[in-house]
Amino acid sequence: MAPKSGAFGNRGHNWVNSFSPMHPDNDLEILMARYQQGDYGAATALIHRLSPQLHRFFLVQFAGPGDADDLLQETWLRIHQVRHTYRSGEPVLPWFYAIARHIRVDHYRKVRRSTAREQPLEDMPQVPAQSSSAPGSTADLDALLAPLPASQREVVEMLKIAGMSLEEVARATSSTVGSVKQKAHRAYERIRERLGRVELGAGREGGLP
Amino acid sequence: MKDPEIDEILRRASQAPHEVYPALLDRIAGSIQPTVQPVRPLPPAWVLASGLMAICAAVAAAGAARLGFFGIQHLSALERALIFPALAILIWFAATACVAEMIPGSRRRMAPGSVLAVASLALLAVFAFLFRDYHTDHFVHQGVACLAAGLLHAIPAAIASWLLLRRGFAVNPVAAGLVAGTLAGLAGVSMLELHCANFEAPHVMLWHTAVIPVSAAAGALLGRLRGLRA
Repeated sequence: MAPKSGAFGNRGHNWVNSFSPMHPDNDLEILMARYQQGDYGAATALIHRLSPQLHRFFLVQFAGPGDADDLLQETWLRIHQVRHTYRSGEPVLPWFYAIARHIRVDHYRKVRRSTAREQPLEDMPQVPAQSSSAPGSTADLDALLAPLPASQREVVEMLKIAGMSLEEVARATSSTVGSVKQKAHRAYERIRERLGRVELGAGREGGLP
Repeated sequence: MKDPEIDEILRRASQAPHEVYPALLDRIAGSIQPTVQPVRPLPPAWVLASGLMAICAAVAAAGAARLGFFGIQHLSALERALIFPALAILIWFAATACVAEMIPGSRRRMAPGSVLAVASLALLAVFAFLFRDYHTDHFVHQGVACLAAGLLHAIPAAIASWLLLRRGFAVNPVAAGLVAGTLAGLAGVSMLELHCANFEAPHVMLWHTAVIPVSAAAGALLGRLRGLRA
């Protein structure tokens, strides 16, 4: 059940991109249309523009750096195979993220199958996300999102890091806007709780009551 | 800690540069270069949904034509006016959900399980309202025959639907299978309503309606097998 809008509204929190980075979606739509028409330059431009955020999406989901690179490659190959399923006029980012998410889920399913006997997935050590990007750029984010379950982590990542709207996240995750709101709400509660504990611990160590 | 403070941390993280090795991007671009050809985008969702609806109508009509239109001949005007429009609405509803499952990033108005539940419960309600004969003559024998006939007609509907949507891409094969099974099951029920002249409430409510969940379960199972194989 989605949280009541009143309770949500009383918090005064705007889940819809209170600080989202700008997304020139129109440019992406144009590039996507040209890619469908066989323009290699447009395909390359899309790869260069969207790969960093897709790579970060995989890292936030605790893929190791090598895994994130592999997942990124696999995602682009799949995007290439099914590029005809994008319809102009529809939001671009949910289409890309839906495919990236499918690749990630598929990957974890394979990992789980292959490692089921030796090491259940839940017990796997959470790999600190060191990407092939600039060192330390995702460290704060990883620490912040670490306690969240995968479904909440991906919602926060899409909403707050990728700068997608609630509607776009709902499309990308094949869910409803209400469900996305609920996950974001729970994620924030959990982050708040964890940061509160950290602050309390630091206060005690510093001799505060 | 307040939400704006968490926002601030996330904002800082989102602004941190995140670059991927250029060599990796070049490798990705190079790997697709030989096959970058013009592609024909999928038709609009309403066109595909209309096609699915036409398939269901054709399968139901063809099946009833082969077995006989005994059901519709014996239905009253009120029963016809309620049953067939309800089936048409539910088929359209399931068809749009089915198309959404085959196009990544589509808007989803309802979860696949809810589509199945709504389709089954709505038909149950219509049948419960219309049919008041609670006899159960030859309940199992006739019921199994109707269930089998409905499912047999769901199969061609499912195959034709798959052919129509084969260029799509299901990011969740189980959900896609469930919704496609629901749609095919509705085609099977439509055939039964045209053909079956047994209007005993328990028969219609159990055996006719059961075509939908059984077909949906088969669809979900096929989707899961396909997902595992992939």
